[in-house]
Amino acid sequence: MQDSIVRLEGASKAFATPEGGSVTALDAIDLQVRRNEFLTLLGPSGCGKTTLLQAISGFVELDGGRILIDGEDMTDRPPYRRPVNTVFQNYALFPHMTVGENTAYALEVAGVAKAKRREQVAAALKMVGLAGMEGRRPRQLSGGQQQRVALARAIIARPKLLLLDEPLSALDKNLRQAMQIELKTLQHELGISFIFVTHDQQEALTMSDRVAVLSGGRIQQLDTPRAIYDHPVNSFVATFIGASNLFDGRIDGDRLMTGDGTEIRHRRAPSTASGAATALIRPEQFFLAGEGEPFPTLDVDLEAIVFVGSTFELFGRTSAGKKVIAEIPAGRRSLIGDIERTRRARLAYDPAAVHLIHACAEA
Amino acid sequence: MKIAQSLFRGSLVAYTGLFFAFIYIPLVVIAVYSFNSNPVNMMTWTGFTTEWYAQVLGFKTTVSENALYIESTGQLLQAVWNSLVIATSTTLIATVFGTAIAIGLYRFDFLGQRFYRVIMFMPMLMPDIVLGIALLIFFVNSGIHLGLMTIIIGQCTFLISYVFIVVSARLAGMDRTLENASADLGADEWTTFRRVVLPQLLPGIVGGALLAFIISMDDLVITYFIAGVDVTTLPMFIFAMLRRGIKPEINAIAVMMLTFSFVVASLGLYLRSRQK
Amino acid sequence: MSIAIRRRVQLAVLLGPVSLFLAVFFLGPLAIMMVTSFLAPGLYGGVEWTFYPHNFGRILGFADPMFEDFDPVYIAIFIRSVKIAALTVLAALIVCYPAAFCIARLSERWKNFCLFLITLPFFTSLIVRLFVWVLILRQTGLVNEMLLSTGMIARPLDLIYTDGAIILGMVYVFIPFMFMPVYGSVEKLDWTLVRASLDLGAGPIRTFWRIILPLTAPGIVGGAIIVFIPALGNFVVPAILGGAKVMMLGNLIEQQFLAARNWPFGSALAMMVMSVMLLLLLVYVFVSSRRGADAALNR
Ligand SMILES: Nc1ncnc2c1ncn2[C@@H]1O[C@H](COP(=O)(O)OP(=O)(O)O)[C@@H](O)[C@H]1O
Ligand SMILES: [Mg+2]
Repeated sequence: MQDSIVRLEGASKAFATPEGGSVTALDAIDLQVRRNEFLTLLGPSGCGKTTLLQAISGFVELDGGRILIDGEDMTDRPPYRRPVNTVFQNYALFPHMTVGENTAYALEVAGVAKAKRREQVAAALKMVGLAGMEGRRPRQLSGGQQQRVALARAIIARPKLLLLDEPLSALDKNLRQAMQIELKTLQHELGISFIFVTHDQQEALTMSDRVAVLSGGRIQQLDTPRAIYDHPVNSFVATFIGASNLFDGRIDGDRLMTGDGTEIRHRRAPSTASGAATALIRPEQFFLAGEGEPFPTLDVDLEAIVFVGSTFELFGRTSAGKKVIAEIPAGRRSLIGDIERTRRARLAYDPAAVHLIHACAEA
Repeated sequence: MKIAQSLFRGSLVAYTGLFFAFIYIPLVVIAVYSFNSNPVNMMTWTGFTTEWYAQVLGFKTTVSENALYIESTGQLLQAVWNSLVIATSTTLIATVFGTAIAIGLYRFDFLGQRFYRVIMFMPMLMPDIVLGIALLIFFVNSGIHLGLMTIIIGQCTFLISYVFIVVSARLAGMDRTLENASADLGADEWTTFRRVVLPQLLPGIVGGALLAFIISMDDLVITYFIAGVDVTTLPMFIFAMLRRGIKPEINAIAVMMLTFSFVVASLGLYLRSRQK
Repeated sequence: MSIAIRRRVQLAVLLGPVSLFLAVFFLGPLAIMMVTSFLAPGLYGGVEWTFYPHNFGRILGFADPMFEDFDPVYIAIFIRSVKIAALTVLAALIVCYPAAFCIARLSERWKNFCLFLITLPFFTSLIVRLFVWVLILRQTGLVNEMLLSTGMIARPLDLIYTDGAIILGMVYVFIPFMFMPVYGSVEKLDWTLVRASLDLGAGPIRTFWRIILPLTAPGIVGGAIIVFIPALGNFVVPAILGGAKVMMLGNLIEQQFLAARNWPFGSALAMMVMSVMLLLLLVYVFVSSRRGADAALNR
């Protein structure tokens, strides 16, 4: 028994553009999805997420590379002979069939007997919280309910893998958060792997076991949400996930000197004693320096102070003109009063929290 | 300003009222006058009668023999029968062909597809008379005897276009991801076509067939040129009668045809609105 | 690989027979007609297989001096047909355009009902709808009877067998052709743009010319073309409402085929009608593709 349910080896795909050129949607992707894993593909629009998903489900023929599902080579199999089901972005429910018929479809085409079908449909609908809705038509349902039907339809045949292409993007915010939790629970109950596509980083971080960050048809980083947030391998990942302050410079012992003379302290043992690198400080890692601050500091002129509820966001520039963003807990109003008056702030940070990205990691 | 605006609105509504009056009043007028007993001057009311209808339908009437203008009810019925035979055959052929092209152009990408699409609009846009005489020259030159067969072939050339356009419109409105969803759930191509594509396409196919049937029943110009001497269709029959002179019986026939097509069309459109 | 072959077979099955059918029975006849239009007419009907451009010459002014003179009557009929078709388009537009605005602003239910009423006559017999106008317009028709009985006129007016009667008849039968495309544009019109224009200081008339008309132009052009084409070569309407007095291209062609038996000349006339149609379509495709609207065709 292998421990990966899906294996992509050098999967490549390029599309011809109308102008006569070509875009690389998948650039020799290697990927392994573990059994029972919730894996999220995260990336900006057009980075190849849908293409990757459709390569697995069989709707996109690869130019090169292989796809194995549960150890079997699927590369040349048509979609209807792959043990994979998909929850489509706009649900793709058959409008001329009832909820029950939609849900039963996979069983029906597989030749499952009618009585058995009815039983399983009832169970699947119950699982997604739509018990007894068999007779309705898709268009008589709300967006959230349609979503659930799509889910029930996709899991009823117990695929080895469920693919979800931005399934929540059409829902409003509250419903989306409720569905996030439900999806996660469902995945645990079913015990099958999910590959979930989103361009919403919050969604990716909260739901996933691992996140694959895609850009330009390549996997930039594949890791747990925390590792991706705390230790991005390159500045694309750092900026795409969460807000970030990036300082490019050269490493000199325990400090990094930027071209404009700013000095950032760090605690990481650099693999090379010196060399080009980028230091990452997340906005929430800054705090306002007190009298005789023991931690290293950075002086900034403030351009805007924005109250966002639980925090204040400070937008400022260093003396060299580099933009800096910091997040200060809103509890300490008195300090904010001071800096609002002076429009200057001394930001402190823990060198241990500074993450270094080495230039060689940049593509 | 307010007054000017409501005045404008009011006149727009009045104009639209006239618009519908223009369309329907003439039809109402002949419906009413088809019951006029005046045999000479059809638009001068002299009393109510159903005699003209009775005559068209072949009943014995009180009208004296020499006042009878309609050659024979038998000829009329023969013309109706011919039209029905032609319309049924052309509808069958055109529906199968038109649907096949629509699906072919929708499902497959191939070189010259756009060109093909443009070509498919041509028979519909081609002026009747041009197509009519082109077919006439063609059939005569190739020695094919003019008759039912040539009418059916000739009508099909442009009816295919109508079906194609109606079915294409339906296909264009169809969500292609539904086919993917079906394949994803394990249905092969044929099952997907049967269970997902065809049911959704059906209203389009039925609509296209209905349209083809109605146009075929009504076609005069093309049929007129390629009918030869043996075959007369209903529109040709009426056209011939009209050219000989206006008689009250034509009026009765016209009203019966109007009623029939109104009922059929209303039924068709009603069914379609229910299916949506 | 096998998938590609299978798709090819499917495509051939779907398109093969019908392509053959259309090639033989649609393109074939048109090609033969085109050839015929360049052949010499035989003495007793039929054709002679020699290249003979003078069929077009008879229409356009370079007739064969041997046995046919250039008779300006043909070009006059051509021009008059174009004129009548153009007036038909204009009249149909005037009838349909304001009504489209009114109907576009109704509630969904009423809108659908009105559209139903407008399309309904299209499904009824063309010849019956024309016959109705004969009863209304002729010497002893409804209009004359009414005017005479009220004493407004002393003798019947000449209403039927005029250009006006032909135009009226064609407008009547082509209303759905004009209305549907015009309505399509009018309904899509974004009224916030109209409000924006009024807000920016343009008066109602200026707003109409600068905003409403240009935005609904595609529908107007579309409607104009699909009315103009069948109007130009029409033969039923002039035959019924034009009597013997008003000759249009359609009747002339019919006459050449069924009475004069000069097929080459009839074909040449039909070629003229067809070229006007193709020209119009080219203009339309050109204009609409410049607008980027050809996406609709390419879907
Ligand atoms: N069928 C296609 N034809 C041409 N280009 C395509 C096609 N599908 C995707 N692409 C291109 O491939 C790239 C990746 O697309 P996609 O996988 O849909 O991105 P994402 O889902 O991440 O937004 C994009 O540049 C897109 O324009
Ligand atoms: Mg996508």
